[in-house]
Amino acid sequence: MRKYLFIMKSQIMTNLQYVFNIAFSFIGYLIMLFILFNLWKYLYSDPSQLINGYTMKQMTWYVIITEILWMTLGGRKLCRKISNDVKSGNITYNINKPYNYIGYSLSCHLGDILIKGVIFTILGMVTGFVFLGSFPKLSILSIIVVILTSILATTISILLITSLGLISFFIEDAGPFYWVYSKIILVLGTIFPIEYFPTVLQKILNYSPVYVVSYGPAKLFVDFSWDKAISVIIAQIIYVAITYGICSFIYKKGVKRINVNGG
Amino acid sequence: MLTAVKKEAKIIYLSIKYALVRELLNKATFFSNIFFMVLNNSAMIVQWIILFSIKDNMGGYNFKQVLLLWGLAAGTYGVAHFFFERSFSLSEQIISGRLDTYIVQPKNILLSAIASDISVPALGDIIFSFIVYFIYGFSIKTFPIYILLCITGGLMMSSISIILNSLSFWFNNSDMIADVGNSLVVNFATYPDGIFSGLTKWLLFTIIPVGFINYIPLKVLINFKLYLLMINIVVCITLIFLAYFIFYKGLRKYSSSNLMSARI
Repeated sequence: MRKYLFIMKSQIMTNLQYVFNIAFSFIGYLIMLFILFNLWKYLYSDPSQLINGYTMKQMTWYVIITEILWMTLGGRKLCRKISNDVKSGNITYNINKPYNYIGYSLSCHLGDILIKGVIFTILGMVTGFVFLGSFPKLSILSIIVVILTSILATTISILLITSLGLISFFIEDAGPFYWVYSKIILVLGTIFPIEYFPTVLQKILNYSPVYVVSYGPAKLFVDFSWDKAISVIIAQIIYVAITYGICSFIYKKGVKRINVNGG
Repeated sequence: MLTAVKKEAKIIYLSIKYALVRELLNKATFFSNIFFMVLNNSAMIVQWIILFSIKDNMGGYNFKQVLLLWGLAAGTYGVAHFFFERSFSLSEQIISGRLDTYIVQPKNILLSAIASDISVPALGDIIFSFIVYFIYGFSIKTFPIYILLCITGGLMMSSISIILNSLSFWFNNSDMIADVGNSLVVNFATYPDGIFSGLTKWLLFTIIPVGFINYIPLKVLINFKLYLLMINIVVCITLIFLAYFIFYKGLRKYSSSNLMSARI
């Protein structure tokens, strides 16, 4: 475990050199938030109106949290990196190292995005407060639970994207798989909460990655309940185990196909 | 003059042709890129189905009209990225001093630089754009206009990107400004102008000219007005000249990095 923490720490140290660049990339987040804020303002003729159980403030905070999770993740970069590692043969440098590639990839990317996550969270909260004038009512303990579920959500996302990147062992370009995955998460989990979808679809989404990677933490932030928190955390732990298993399986199958010429 | 234009057009044609041949070496990847991009764009239809279930009118547009806006956005994006992919990474070439390859050739430097690569997924965007247009409703009258508007929109998008990327001739880290500018155009392009008001709406027709790339073309297609089409064309030509002027102004500041490179 210590070696993975060390990998994570060195990535954090590297990223600390680029704090300004990270803060600047917040503008992209702000644009998206501004558009969605306008959209919800247009849809809610009265701010206290309830649409599918959400007030306008709750909907805006929901989107702020899901967008923080999504924009911090840097999924495209991760998928491209793993895909390129496989295609270029760079992955062979990791085979003879005393660590597990999946663990390395996870700790490396977590270290990569931690600073960004902290900056985006602070700026996102400030932006939300400026737009809406208040925060949702949360106790210290519930804030800790939201942070914990957010970390677990990010871990699951990284593992899912890693498994998509590892598809490059079998199909040269994993990019298109990532596009479809990202659109599913964006449409079904980032822009709308699960309650916005038809009942039949809601039942499916409650068991899908959407529930654990975006809906869970955001729902807890806007409408916290201990029942929900326990169900989200249990689902996330199960998903961590499943996604880690999938990654390991694809990696073990794929690594046997490596054929590198030269070096 | 005409001969020079013909020669430049031929260069672009050959550049794209060879890039296509190169990409077609791996047919499975080529076609999966296109297919998945169509699928990727189609997923956003779900978003609008949900939104229209809440309100039957989105900023003055019905579902089919918003779908057409998506088609236009995909079409302009597709044209810009398929034909002029490098206009979106021009600053990278300027900063790393990789423009030498184009400068030493007796051809138009800007055109050679921006048309030197293609984006295969952008073909998926173009295909998606036409699918959406046919769903909206094909007509002999609007079809040529639709194609023209996709081309002018693509040219405007590339011009904006060239202008922003050319800032790298003067400032360090301006690639970040270019990225933000490009994402502004793309993000606003897929939402109807009716949901924005006041200063934002004004910005969309000035500093962030999405209004000319997508919103005016949408109005032209829904309810044809010649003056709107003329505005679109005039703004397009102005942006092209502006991009050309700024790039060549900046090129005087360019310094090579003595990097050995070749166009393959």
